[in-house]
Amino acid sequence: MSARRIRLLIWKEFTQLRRDPLLIRLLLVMPVLQLILFGYVVAVDIRNLATAVVDLDQTSTSRKLEAAFSGSGYFTITQTPATEDDLRPLLDRGTVKVALVIPEGTQDRLDRGETAPIGIIVDGSDSQISAVGSGYASQIIAQFNADRMTEQGVSVTAPGIDAQVRVMFNPTLDPVNTMIPGLIAAIMMISLMAIMSQAVVKERESGTLEQMFVTPIHATEYLIGKLTPYAALATAQMLLVAAGGLFWFRVPFNGNFWVVLVGLALFMLTCIGLGLLVSLVSRTRHQAQQAVMFIMIPTMVLSGFIFPIQSMPAIIQPLTNLIPLTWALEVLRGAFVKGSGFEALAVPMIVLAGFAVVIFGASIVATRRRIAE
Amino acid sequence: MTATTTPQGVGAIRAHALRRTFGEVVAVAEVDLDIPAGAVFGLLGPDGAGKSTLIRMLATVLRPDSGTAEVFGHSVTAERDQVTPRIGYMSQRFSMYPDLSVMENLEFFATVRGVGRADRRTRAKALLESMGLDEFTTRQAQFLSGGMKQKLMLATTLMHEPDLLLLDEPTTGVDPVSRREFWRILAGLHREGRTVLVATPYMDEAERCTQVAFLDRGRIQRSGSPDEIKAQVPGQLLEVSLPEPRAAMAVLADVPGVTSVHLLGDVVRVLWDADADPEAALTGALAAAGRSGRVREVAPDMETVFAYLAEASGAADEEQAS
Repeated sequence: MSARRIRLLIWKEFTQLRRDPLLIRLLLVMPVLQLILFGYVVAVDIRNLATAVVDLDQTSTSRKLEAAFSGSGYFTITQTPATEDDLRPLLDRGTVKVALVIPEGTQDRLDRGETAPIGIIVDGSDSQISAVGSGYASQIIAQFNADRMTEQGVSVTAPGIDAQVRVMFNPTLDPVNTMIPGLIAAIMMISLMAIMSQAVVKERESGTLEQMFVTPIHATEYLIGKLTPYAALATAQMLLVAAGGLFWFRVPFNGNFWVVLVGLALFMLTCIGLGLLVSLVSRTRHQAQQAVMFIMIPTMVLSGFIFPIQSMPAIIQPLTNLIPLTWALEVLRGAFVKGSGFEALAVPMIVLAGFAVVIFGASIVATRRRIAE
Repeated sequence: MTATTTPQGVGAIRAHALRRTFGEVVAVAEVDLDIPAGAVFGLLGPDGAGKSTLIRMLATVLRPDSGTAEVFGHSVTAERDQVTPRIGYMSQRFSMYPDLSVMENLEFFATVRGVGRADRRTRAKALLESMGLDEFTTRQAQFLSGGMKQKLMLATTLMHEPDLLLLDEPTTGVDPVSRREFWRILAGLHREGRTVLVATPYMDEAERCTQVAFLDRGRIQRSGSPDEIKAQVPGQLLEVSLPEPRAAMAVLADVPGVTSVHLLGDVVRVLWDADADPEAALTGALAAAGRSGRVREVAPDMETVFAYLAEASGAADEEQAS
């Protein structure tokens, strides 16, 4: 192993990258474009949910509750039908996504110290809206109860409004908060797969691979020289997305920096390995591109990056376990949003490590053998 | 590691029963080679004869299925690290980085081989000047002409001053002027004492070699110096100038004593192997057919020798098959 030769290979790789202005532009524009697409489009959609309120109580309490909903920014009250029967067509047509029903006597019940049930109806045809919408609603009602208690000086255990929705995950969950960590992993996978898959094919096509054999460069040096520049590039892309997420979209980072780093490093090895394997089985760069598409599409659809795994059919769900991105998302989202540590994320971490060892290891062995041939 | 330190008397290349197959195809079959240091060895043969496969095995980039090969006494399989610093291998295809400049390619491959900075600078300057590439140092390799690309590859393989050059069809697809210039450079390397193994389909290039070998269907059919090879062709070579040479070929082929008839431009070349006076016999036969022509003896060249040998080996195969 010679550090000088590895440095030389890295210099060569960067020089070639610099000479390919289109590639560089694509690699820098892609993360930004995806950040905007996934971050902004999703965020705006879920912020102003069209909401109907059926106020059968017509009291100060009911009006305060309405104000709490419309003031949250998540719900925009667009309809105020007089009866519950009028709600159905509004939901059917999709005019509103969420409906709030405040029954008659809500204030009376609360004044008597009883539990007052209210109804929240969420359009279930969009799993994301229903999950997120009901989450926001629960949060608002919890806040409403807490405010009411402090105002009246009642003990915390006193009954209040009981919203008829049950959400098992953190109700503060903002879709952007889960989208950004996912995006970091997805961008890393896309760009590493796209470039690594070309790496060896390109040198074989240009005949330079054979010329390498008659130099003292060893297969290991060659691989390190080849992987380092692209790993660095992928890291730069990730930082760009992370910075955009944290500072522009204000995604909170609750987690442990090391958890994120270890998870990403393991996932990076997996992606490099997959790309190299594609490069080995492809004879031309065109074939390599097609093979990458073949891997990326099921990965995007099945990993839970775009569609929640919970909403997939039961027979499909086990398949998602075979996709490395699934586990990377679990680690990153857990670390970013819930602040989970190594213990809580032990299972996905171990699975990711397994993927990294098997896929990266296999690709290195196969590349060495192919180069030595 | 310069040419002057090459031990005299030690063969540059020794191969024994070298064999390589690709699936069902036998590319190289039981080839023996003994090339002394300082030779310019021409590997001749038609396309698909196995020239590239043989060279790639000697260059350590392809493993033989069986047999042994040594370069300066070191095995090309077991002692690659001793072999590669002493050889320069130029593949048939252009194999420089297309998006790196002339100078960057030279620098890259020389640095990888451990050539020091001062040596790199002086050698690059000298090589680029002698090859007429000094005006194109900053041009990307992909934008060079065919001849310049070949010269860049040769310059790159010379940067570490190898004792043995393995050149796989270096002048294929290169214009005649560049070809001549390329051989002028090779002649200079020969004078410096380097060993050159060059594969070529061009027979005129074979004349410039100190030794040649004919490779056909993976086997060496003949080898020796160009004069020795020519001596292997029995009889004398005659050139017949006459109108409608193509039509006259059949007449000439039927004359007893004629072993082979070939068309070369607008003359017919006849190989004569008999005791009788060829001139009288040929002009007589032509007169009988109502034609006339001028006959003169010429020195056999490699083109004719090669055509004869290829024909002879083809005939031998047919005999074996029947």
